[in-house]
Amino acid sequence: MSPVIRAAVFQTAWTGDKESMIQVHEQAARDAAAQGAHVLCFQELFYGPYFCQVQDPAFYAYAERVPDGPVVKRFQALARELGIVLVLPMYEEEQPGVLYNTAAVIDADGSYLGKYRKTHIPQVKGFWEKFYFRPGNSGWPVFDTRAGRIGVYICYDRHFPEGWRALGLAGAEIVFNPSATSRGLSGYLWQLEQPAAAVANEYFVGAINRVGVEEYGDNDFYGTSYFVDPEARFVGEPASDKETELVVRDLDTAKLREVRDRWQFYRDRAPGAYGPLTAP
Amino acid sequence: MTTWEPSAPALSVRQVLALERVLAGEPEVVAGARRLDRPVRWVHVAEAADVGVMLSGGEMVLTTGVLLAGDEDKQAEYVRSLHRAEAAALVLGLGRAFPSPPDVMRRVAERCGLPLVVLHRPFPFAQLTEEVQSRLVRRKFAAVSLSEAVRGELTALITAGAPLQRLLDEVARHSGCPVVVTNLAHRVLGTAGERPAVDDVLRDWERVARQAGGGEGDGWIRAELGGRGERWGRIVLCGYRGDRATGRLLADRAAEALVLHRMLGGAARSWEEQSAQSLLTDLVSGVVPARQLLPRARAAGLPVNRRTFVPLAVHGREAHRLDRVLRLLGLSGVVAELAGGVTTVLLSLARDQDAEALTAHFAARLRSGPGAAPVVVAAADERTAFDDVPAGLREARHVVDAVAGSAAALDLPAVVRLGDVHLRGLIRLLRDDPQVQSFAERELDGLLCEPDEDLLSVLRTYLATGRNKSRTAQLHHVSRPALYRRLEAIQARLGVDLDDFEQAASVHIALLAHDAQQQ
Repeated sequence: MSPVIRAAVFQTAWTGDKESMIQVHEQAARDAAAQGAHVLCFQELFYGPYFCQVQDPAFYAYAERVPDGPVVKRFQALARELGIVLVLPMYEEEQPGVLYNTAAVIDADGSYLGKYRKTHIPQVKGFWEKFYFRPGNSGWPVFDTRAGRIGVYICYDRHFPEGWRALGLAGAEIVFNPSATSRGLSGYLWQLEQPAAAVANEYFVGAINRVGVEEYGDNDFYGTSYFVDPEARFVGEPASDKETELVVRDLDTAKLREVRDRWQFYRDRAPGAYGPLTAP
Repeated sequence: MTTWEPSAPALSVRQVLALERVLAGEPEVVAGARRLDRPVRWVHVAEAADVGVMLSGGEMVLTTGVLLAGDEDKQAEYVRSLHRAEAAALVLGLGRAFPSPPDVMRRVAERCGLPLVVLHRPFPFAQLTEEVQSRLVRRKFAAVSLSEAVRGELTALITAGAPLQRLLDEVARHSGCPVVVTNLAHRVLGTAGERPAVDDVLRDWERVARQAGGGEGDGWIRAELGGRGERWGRIVLCGYRGDRATGRLLADRAAEALVLHRMLGGAARSWEEQSAQSLLTDLVSGVVPARQLLPRARAAGLPVNRRTFVPLAVHGREAHRLDRVLRLLGLSGVVAELAGGVTTVLLSLARDQDAEALTAHFAARLRSGPGAAPVVVAAADERTAFDDVPAGLREARHVVDAVAGSAAALDLPAVVRLGDVHLRGLIRLLRDDPQVQSFAERELDGLLCEPDEDLLSVLRTYLATGRNKSRTAQLHHVSRPALYRRLEAIQARLGVDLDDFEQAASVHIALLAHDAQQQ
């Protein structure tokens, strides 16, 4: 595998309808591929608005089957055409009334590799997610893609160090953290938690946040998507806090080995002493 | 009572002890020697056992200890109470009460880290208070007047509409060290100070800026820029050599001024744009070797290590639109509109990226966006050496200038290069030559003496289409007989035969030269 992964994340504003939103993302995939990106991750619930600002069953209609729904099929074809790994965070319907906040992972040949379902579901003002999603039950899958070993940890998950660690133990080299988060609420955490997770678990993190204010509430999504390396350094600049932006960065996996040779966190952790963490 | 402001200029304990008048008392530090850099805010003479409750922090307390003699518990509690009150130091005049430094007080002071100083010779405390007090007041006054002076100067500049650079130059003049303004991503938006010193600071800016995040011990003094609950940048005095409090004060005044400047600037060009513009202007002008601009380019967020650079010039789209498309595509580059209305772009690509394909992709995305004006994207060949970038930028501008006026009539490729502009490029270069000018005047005299825009325009199209009469008639919406009449009129007025290749070529060149001068 190439030691440098050219990875991309894409942040954008809600266009007002699902189809044009999908088209914007298709174009982003083409733009990323034109630049030679090996992998691209979209924002949380990528083809919809962030409807969790309100509690309205009408939005259940945004859910689709994964992988048998039309969106996954459409992007499988695109991934095959462009030769790019795609991570698709979306609303999943397993069966009517059983809904998850999910990310599907598509390999560069268009094959469906699997999905991660968001484990930690928030229920606070502006983020009424328990109304829409069951807590995930997928465990902590890491996908062996053509662009490297990839994990996904969705939005609110990022406040919980345990999942980050589980993905690290499963061999993730990059963990994508697609999010929808609002200026006043999490601004002070946004450039702190993911870099800290990258350091603690010695891998790269790609953080994605949508932009703009949508018609369903006051949340001001502040973008600022970025990649951060295992030394907590941003790889290039974070993206704009207001505008649509594709972020393409070269992640040198030699850095991962270098840091793990320096700090043996995986060797020195003490799982035997962690029993209380899993006591109910 | 004034509140205790750590940032107010103050003397340190060490500085007080070094004063000539104080030296006469033969001071000896018997405890807390490591804390002598504490600032002394005031000097307080007190012969009271419960002095601690009267203090508000930062005081140097002078005492003979007359109320403490003989009671070790009282002595220990006395020192502890000073420590709790955050006194700067305790000065004990040896004499009747304590002929020698009291052991208990020394031990407790050492444990608390409170500097304890004994004076071996009898010493009028009033002299010390007078001396220190007057110095402190003078310093405070100096600080207030500096603060007012700086604020006044900066406000005057802002109200006079001065650009960011003038403000920064003024701050640098006061601070005597490099001054850097960055956004939150540590991208440099402006600098001031002596060039070599600034370049030194910028050389490894990203790393230095992040590492110097903590203390200010190394003379790095930073102030946050923001307002209305939102932070958006910071100003850094890099290696300020004066005392910290003054540096702090300068940084704070500068930050206030910058925030005001930005709020008043409102819709005007952002600092990011200004910084890109000054970088590209300096690159194009060639007054400074490109290599010397590397630190600035890197600090402005342009990746420069092991990169391929693509110089571009664009006509028909504004700089902010180009910047958006770059961001949308995830391409690294700087964009600015330079003098003459041409927008210049310097792309920075990874070595293994296909520069030609990405440039074409960029041009296509630019064209597909909203906007009525035809877009011309001119490119010079990609460069791997930064030193070759200025020539490339100039070449791209030259190409765009050569075709911008007649882009619609010419059948141009999506990305225009030097090879595509042929004779137009040469004429454009020579347009200011007096011989060329007089040649154009001479050749076109018959049409220019009584200007007839219609005939000139027909002639232009006829020559541009390679003397294709039916195409020309079609483009001008006239019948062929009508076109023939016009061509005859042109030939008559110019006194040439346009069927003769050499005469037609000569008129064509003259017309191109004429048009180039009009731009």
